[in-house]
Amino acid sequence: MNDFLFTQILTELEDAVGRENCSVKEIDKVTHSVDYFWLSRMWADRGRRMPEADFVVSPKDATETSKVLKIANYYKIPVTTWGGGGGTQGGAIPLCGGILLDTKRMNKIYEVNTESMYIECGAGAIYKHVEWAANEKGYATMHYPSSLTCSTVGGFLAHRGIGVVSTKYGKIDDMVLQMEVVLPNGDIINTSSAPKHAAGPDLNQIFIGSEGTLGIITKAQIRIYVQPEVRRFRGFLFKDMHSAFVASREILQKFKPSVMRLYNEAETASLIKKIVGVEKPGAFMNIAYEGVKEIVDVEEKILLETFAKYGAEDLGSEYGEKWWKEKITFFYPGHMMDLPQMFGTMDTIAPYDKIEKIYYAMKEAIETNFPQAKFIAHFSHWYEWGSMIYDRFIIDEKDVPKDPVEAMRLHNAIWNLGVRTAIANGGVVNDHHGVGMKLGRLMKEQYGPAMQVFEGIKKSLDPNGIMNPFKLGL
Amino acid sequence: MNISEKSKGIIDSCRFCWMCRHICPIGNATGLERNTARARALGASLVVRGATKLKEISDNIYECTLCGACTNNCMTGWDPKVFIQELKTEIVLNGVAPDYIMGLIEKYQTTGNVYGVLACACLNDLVNNDSDVLFFAGQDAILKTPESVKNSIALLNKAGVKVSFGLDQDSSAAWWFLTGKTAETLSVATKTAEKLNQFKTVVVYDPVDYKLFLHEYKEWGIDITAKVIGFNEYLLSLIENGSLKVKNNGKAYSLQDNYAYARELDDTQTGRKLISKVGVVKDMLLIGKEANLAGQLIMAEYMPNVMTEVALNRWQNAINMDCKTIVTENPAEYLALKATTPDGYQVLSVEEMILENI
Ligand SMILES: Cc1cc2nc3c(=O)[nH]c(=O)nc-3n(C[C@H](O)[C@H](O)[C@H](O)COP(=O)(O)OP(=O)(O)OC[C@H]3O[C@@H](n4cnc5c(N)ncnc54)[C@H](O)[C@@H]3O)c2cc1C
Ligand code: SF4
Ligand code: SF4
Repeated sequence: MNDFLFTQILTELEDAVGRENCSVKEIDKVTHSVDYFWLSRMWADRGRRMPEADFVVSPKDATETSKVLKIANYYKIPVTTWGGGGGTQGGAIPLCGGILLDTKRMNKIYEVNTESMYIECGAGAIYKHVEWAANEKGYATMHYPSSLTCSTVGGFLAHRGIGVVSTKYGKIDDMVLQMEVVLPNGDIINTSSAPKHAAGPDLNQIFIGSEGTLGIITKAQIRIYVQPEVRRFRGFLFKDMHSAFVASREILQKFKPSVMRLYNEAETASLIKKIVGVEKPGAFMNIAYEGVKEIVDVEEKILLETFAKYGAEDLGSEYGEKWWKEKITFFYPGHMMDLPQMFGTMDTIAPYDKIEKIYYAMKEAIETNFPQAKFIAHFSHWYEWGSMIYDRFIIDEKDVPKDPVEAMRLHNAIWNLGVRTAIANGGVVNDHHGVGMKLGRLMKEQYGPAMQVFEGIKKSLDPNGIMNPFKLGL
Repeated sequence: MNISEKSKGIIDSCRFCWMCRHICPIGNATGLERNTARARALGASLVVRGATKLKEISDNIYECTLCGACTNNCMTGWDPKVFIQELKTEIVLNGVAPDYIMGLIEKYQTTGNVYGVLACACLNDLVNNDSDVLFFAGQDAILKTPESVKNSIALLNKAGVKVSFGLDQDSSAAWWFLTGKTAETLSVATKTAEKLNQFKTVVVYDPVDYKLFLHEYKEWGIDITAKVIGFNEYLLSLIENGSLKVKNNGKAYSLQDNYAYARELDDTQTGRKLISKVGVVKDMLLIGKEANLAGQLIMAEYMPNVMTEVALNRWQNAINMDCKTIVTENPAEYLALKATTPDGYQVLSVEEMILENI
């Protein structure tokens, strides 16, 4: 773009959001070019610059967002939405330059409604701040992902995120009432005032998971919950993964624990040993159950009886409590995989009749084809009908190509194989990290002709294709 | 870039880590991605790798208050303040400091302080060298909140303690903030230590100076032989030994924990004990080591709007928990909160709180 037109657009954007909220400084472009995606981090680690936006804007609300999108549509400039940049799929990287729209100025807590049990907030609010707002009134959001402190309400909605107490309280898509969304043409819309209805398809669910490709979420009503009277933990050691699966499936037909985390033997022997201190071989499982004390007493009895039936060793509450205390420690630098290692989390989800098969198939595919990769896994979100696998591959520094192009080639080959294996065995491209640029190419393989539904919605809402290009396979 | 291996290690850890963004008072006020420890580290890591220039990141380095909330929140023990301070030295020595920082440095060089103001004549009468107890009010209090200096000395006098006092009380906090560990910082600190050492006891009003004396001076190898004690601790001891008589009126006070006391000196209790002597403690949600910073005077010189936002955010915390009276422990936070007090709310310094209960 010539500098004359560039400056013209800059002044229009400054007019839309205020001069101080529109930047073309290198520091702002650089910090919005690297998200939590391994490839972007590797690229920066090797001293290379990632694709950067031309303009970085921070609107304060839907009206300013709408103005930005109108400008972008007129000049046909790409717009990439950035919440916390904590996404793992490269979703917030401005691959085609253009406008980077950072949502974090839209962080207002508008209302803590303790009658209908929600908090209305700007979509750029960091989730931990929403949690604080709930805590100040004696409530809780019950959305506790490890990125609670870094990611935004809009980011979690856009990637269909999940927290550790999901088995009882649900995923982010279960935790939202109404949303305000700015469409690519700048129109501001609201979804229905209640999330359960028969007034046509659910507008919320069209935008949840759309990763900034269909519009920008600017406000949301997020559910809050009464703090549990008690929250208890129990650690178990299963001798193998199969018995843990069967036991867990049975428990979920009886009641819903809040936390259910089953670690495979490799992860039990590595991360769990290091952080929680479990030394014995086997598959560690941590369960939390919570709520009104009398009910929790009954749940505990059912849990112990059911798991004993499947030979689980009861490790008491100590490891579980330690796990709860340390649950985010796993994610700090030095406590988990980090560069110069190569790694990735291939979370997938499937019904119980397929999940075990998928796990073993993925493990075998990765370990056979990429012997340099370690494969570790845990199962952290459970439903009455199935569960998700949080499986990771890790390659140590010595086996990671020094050349960033070769590193990218190896990285993508592992992902292709892992996710294709999951899909072939009945899994889904992803459980809760989203698709972004990382998995976009695999969406068509997952959905086949169903992909035209997404493409049709995209074409009609965003005919100029300005919204987050090359993400979500759109 | 000439920075220590320690700093390089911190930079390489923080550069891809987002875990402390929620707690940063500046990031929370601006909503800017660059106002995070990770963004500063990412920028610095690119400088180290030759992918960008030091000049490009220099503004952002000066957008940190050094409040240590990130450090405190971090599970790893990494301290972004370490590389931030080293980078400041590099920035200044390489002549790539932002103009507004150079402006403050020049102001200091011509007037002796970054604010370019003279001490209030109202303090002249208090100047004396008669006691072996020095009241070290510090530059911020002397130049910006002279009433606090008067009130504090009056309170000490009421308890029967006569104190020495002078108008030139520069801990080197401003030099340290602007340039890191430079020759100027060390020279000011050395002269100040010499002055302190002429007294038996030094009562330090501003916790930011206090932690400099206890931590940085030690690291820099500058000896303080005088007994140095924080104002809060000193006041509490006077109340507890009966020298200062106070009454408890049952009023609810909410402590604005200063980061230097709470996070750097590990003292979250003295302020609360003082409150309990004259009223009841009513805490906000984020207190003690987790407390949000409410003000920083040097940054208010070059980013006043952001610092106003920082103070307003703290007021929001107070409003959410119905905390009507905030008690501050240092001049910067006192002024910032005072300038933004919502209707129906009140801010008092520690000495004001005690004075209203005598
Ligand atoms: C340490 C760490 C631990 C993590 N643990 C978890 C976990 O436990 N559970 C979990 O679910 N995830 C986890 N994640 C991943 C990450 O937190 C989630 O993917 C989160 O949803 C990203 O939100 P963000 O605000 O950081 O979004 P970003 O990374 O900024 O953006 C993600 C995507 O959402 C889009 N987007 C952002 N905001 C909006 C909006 N307002 N409207 C429309 N589109 C938008 C962006 O364009 C992009 O495509 C973790 C990440 C980290 C760094
Ligand atoms: S200080 Fe800790 S939490 Fe903050 S960025 Fe660095 S490593 Fe992460
Ligand atoms: S020291 Fe304070 S202001 Fe600086 S990055 Fe950390 S939290 Fe933010």
